Amino acid sequence: MGILAIIGLRAVTAEGGDAPLPDAAQDLITLATSVIIESLPFIVLGIALSILVQVWIPEDWLLRILPRNPWGRRAVISLFGMFLPVCECGNVPLARGLVRKGFTVPESMVFLLAAPILNPVTILTTHAAFGFDDGILVARLLGGFLIANVLGWLFSQHPEPESLLTERFAAECRVDDAAAPRTRAAQTLDLFVRETSILMPALVIGAVVAGAIQVAVPRDVLVALGSDPLFSVLAMMVLAFVISVCSNVDAFFILPFASTFLPGSIVTFLVFGPIIDIKMLALMRTTYSTRTLVQLTAVVGLLSAALGLVVNYVA
Amino acid sequence: MQAWRGIALIGAISAVALWLAASGQLVLYIHPRYVLFTVAMAVIALVLVVAAIAARAVGQRRDAVRRPSGTVDLLAAPVDGRDHAHDHHDHEPLPRRRERALGLTAAGIAGLFVIGMVVLPPATLSTATAEQREINATAADVQALDEAQSADAAAVARFTVREWAGILRQTTDLGFFADKPVTGLLGFVSPDGDDPENVFYVSRFSITCCAVDAQPLGVPVHLPGWQERFPIDSWVEVSGDFVANPSAQSRQPIVIEPTGVEAVEQPREPYLF
Repeated sequence: MGILAIIGLRAVTAEGGDAPLPDAAQDLITLATSVIIESLPFIVLGIALSILVQVWIPEDWLLRILPRNPWGRRAVISLFGMFLPVCECGNVPLARGLVRKGFTVPESMVFLLAAPILNPVTILTTHAAFGFDDGILVARLLGGFLIANVLGWLFSQHPEPESLLTERFAAECRVDDAAAPRTRAAQTLDLFVRETSILMPALVIGAVVAGAIQVAVPRDVLVALGSDPLFSVLAMMVLAFVISVCSNVDAFFILPFASTFLPGSIVTFLVFGPIIDIKMLALMRTTYSTRTLVQLTAVVGLLSAALGLVVNYVA
Repeated sequence: MQAWRGIALIGAISAVALWLAASGQLVLYIHPRYVLFTVAMAVIALVLVVAAIAARAVGQRRDAVRRPSGTVDLLAAPVDGRDHAHDHHDHEPLPRRRERALGLTAAGIAGLFVIGMVVLPPATLSTATAEQREINATAADVQALDEAQSADAAAVARFTVREWAGILRQTTDLGFFADKPVTGLLGFVSPDGDDPENVFYVSRFSITCCAVDAQPLGVPVHLPGWQERFPIDSWVEVSGDFVANPSAQSRQPIVIEPTGVEAVEQPREPYLF
């Protein structure tokens, strides 16, 4: 009844003509709505895959088939995205599911960081946009793999990996399985309710902030910085952070900028953006503590910038 | 209720997405290639929402009959797994109370925005964004010029703002445009920042994924006093010829000298994909 009421209300108010809002405010709403609607199917798919991993795949099967050596294990986890072509926002619920399933916190990060870049859809769209020109595709794939694994190794050195999580999520992971609903169907619905309650407010807030910043920050300021080897890299990181566009299509988005920006800065955009942007920080905050996200952002930023600079000077 | 805020949000957003798809307006927000995927996942989300609500209703009815007081229904339990019975605000440590307040504020803002999604009429991006992103900053259709060289009159007549903007970015040779008139060029009106009195752009947004990546493209039109006839953001169809720009202030070397400018309705697919 409620869903029908929403659809009815939507249909009735659609005929009201233009909303009495200034253009900038109207565009903010359009942009934020666009991010939410574009992300919705990936979030649903991510939650569905997370439920699949937690409820429907046999207990410990995933953990059993992985190598025991920590580096090898993280390297294999960073390639999970090859079989899960979900963009970054859909990977957040899946990463949460992996932690609940027994993966370590750094292992969940390796998956979360690498999967949006190392997946078939992203590889195909990046190849369609750039081919093998200037080594952009290769640098993106290798850079994404290396950054994810370096971050995984760094956080694996933490004496108390559980403290990298938010208190709430850590508590959720500690809940005794015996208290969970008995049937798989009930567990599925329980997880769906829990994950949406955490992720949906974060998605909407992230989309609204991303929309507001896009309306406020003039794009030409960023483009003006595009021809400098150092500033072009920094400008592309800021652009990637602000634009919050999905990793499956960001190569097409940045393609028109290739004539004004150096190749290394394009690589920085393609590596930094899928890991860190406004929408992703809001979503990742549901799982990792603020302190962890600050450290993560700093290290990913430094490594992405270094990668971009190397490509700029080598390509 | 805290655990159900996500269900309310995803249910409302999925319902809005399905209505937008049914009314043909989902393309105001995303590229058409994602419409089917979005509809399919919105349907799955709504099925899960209905199932979760039904399971809760059944569970409550069953509990009312069987369950002794004090037992917790997991579907209704708070997401952090703590027991409601012991979750009195007065005994909460300060950081946890702050986190809860922050969470409620975020959920409140998210709820308000989603109510806006339900009640505000769907809209395209406007000139405000076109100006903020700088028209033609990324017009780089390098094939357009080559294709235009060999195009016949019928093909030239089908050129959109994308093709013309790409060509104008690559050549200022008026001889090239001599046998290539503009026919029924469709777009919204956006003023030229250098000479808004005499020149406007007939503009479109080009989209690769969703409205977030929209790139504004435009073809300049010289029409003194255009603002008296056509409001900014209104849609027009322009026909005419390319000429050297008569405006001294405008930085565009070539503009359309219109033979006809007609006000038209916004098309069902306002963006170029």
